[in-house]
Amino acid sequence: MVRLFRVSKIYPPNYAALADIHLQIEKGEFVFLNGPSGAGKTTLLRLLFREEEATEGQIIVNGRNITRLNGGAVARLRQELGLVFQEFKLLPTLTALENVALAAEVVGTPRREGRKKAFHLLRELGLKDKHDCKPPALSGGEQQRVAIARALVNDPILVLADEPTGNLDAEMAEETMRLFLRIHEQGTTVVIATHDTGLLQRFSHRVVYLQRGRLVGDSKPADGERSA
Amino acid sequence: MRLTQTSFVFRRVLKSLKELFWTHILTSGTMAMTLFIFGGFLLIQENLHGLLRGWGSQVQVFVYLEKELAPEELDQLLKQVRSYPDVERVRYVSKTEAWEKFKQTLGAQAGVLEGLKADILPASLEIALKGPHRTRAAAEALAQRLRGLRGVGEVEYPEEWVEKLGLLVLGIQWAKWVLGGFLFVATLLIVGSTVRLAFLARRDEIEIMQLVGAPAGLIKAPFVIEGMIQGVAGASVALFGLWLFFLFLHDRIPASFGVFAPGGGLHFLDLQGSVVLVLLGWAMGTGGSLFSLRQFLKRWSG
Repeated sequence: MVRLFRVSKIYPPNYAALADIHLQIEKGEFVFLNGPSGAGKTTLLRLLFREEEATEGQIIVNGRNITRLNGGAVARLRQELGLVFQEFKLLPTLTALENVALAAEVVGTPRREGRKKAFHLLRELGLKDKHDCKPPALSGGEQQRVAIARALVNDPILVLADEPTGNLDAEMAEETMRLFLRIHEQGTTVVIATHDTGLLQRFSHRVVYLQRGRLVGDSKPADGERSA
Repeated sequence: MRLTQTSFVFRRVLKSLKELFWTHILTSGTMAMTLFIFGGFLLIQENLHGLLRGWGSQVQVFVYLEKELAPEELDQLLKQVRSYPDVERVRYVSKTEAWEKFKQTLGAQAGVLEGLKADILPASLEIALKGPHRTRAAAEALAQRLRGLRGVGEVEYPEEWVEKLGLLVLGIQWAKWVLGGFLFVATLLIVGSTVRLAFLARRDEIEIMQLVGAPAGLIKAPFVIEGMIQGVAGASVALFGLWLFFLFLHDRIPASFGVFAPGGGLHFLDLQGSVVLVLLGWAMGTGGSLFSLRQFLKRWSG
């Protein structure tokens, strides 16, 4: 699903946010990217959804080399991905339903169909009665669930989440992680960047460790240890 | 772009027009002022052209005869003049006709002619020149030839001012493009600023659209359409303003000057001129939006 060959990202004048990364993520895997602040977790995710371009190396996503893409190809790549961020990135003037439906509509889903799909997703994620609420009227956990619904509305092959529990309390963080596990169970590949080691202990899955831009560890739990 | 996306684009345009109503009004107003000035030049140029055409058709050479010629001599003279390639038509004005015309011109003051003989004015030939020869130089050359003919006394031809009017029209034509050019650039920048405001107002929305994979065209289209609407609205207002201005002048100018009579009076921009003005507004709006978007969305230009 995802392959990185000798990938580096260097910011001027000479700061290596990522250096010589080799990484392979198989289809249907659930992977945590872990490491302290500044380790390169966010940069790695940004390379995967082509917000940034790698300075060196090759990146393959779903069989396609995304290292050098033009604008149109970047848009097409993102239509296959689901992105979740720590700060939710919801539009405060739109309702929860509209926020989710927007993502469907911009890729060409008919309006009615997009809203129907958004409604179903919000209901599945426990926001049945909140679909008409605007983000400021929702709790942090609810906003993150709206963001997750938006990430899922176009049936992504890969979900990338950058510190999705960073703004949530422990209980909400746990609930959000269980949502990601449900998404993974349905066959979607999930990559989550987090610095929260507590989460890694509670949800035992493959962990890729980064430190100062280098990949320093890659641990896969034994089958019996995996949380579900 | 699919149909669903087209409806999405138009909903966003309507939303922006509602949310940034006064910004759009201000931009359209600025464009209207620019196009009004440009259209004003167009209108003046059109009318002066008409005037010049009217007067041009009246560029004539007058030949005053030394004495009343015998019919055979007159026929021969007319035949000779008509044979010149630059002459369109020749009309003989007898002494009697000249006298009647003069009396008519004086109108109520014709009484001053009482006691004068009716044959005091000389007979003459009114010679109209062919289109390409309606210039002072051509009239002068013809006059030279006419002076050498038997029976010809004095020869008169148009003064220099007809040519000066031609130069004035040319000057206005250039001023229109030079001033129009400056105003065009200024308006592009103003439209660009509006797009920038609209862009900043929707920055979060655009960022999210980019993240979920919206095609660049879908993000740009509403801004470009808004620019087009501003341009066409501005041009329509300018055209309406020009028409009101024209009506105002129309009621006043003919009364004080008789000068427009040869060109058939003042006239408004024809369909072609009006369409040019609207197209210019459209181009300014669209160009301003695209110019501004290029700066903001450089990542898509590659």
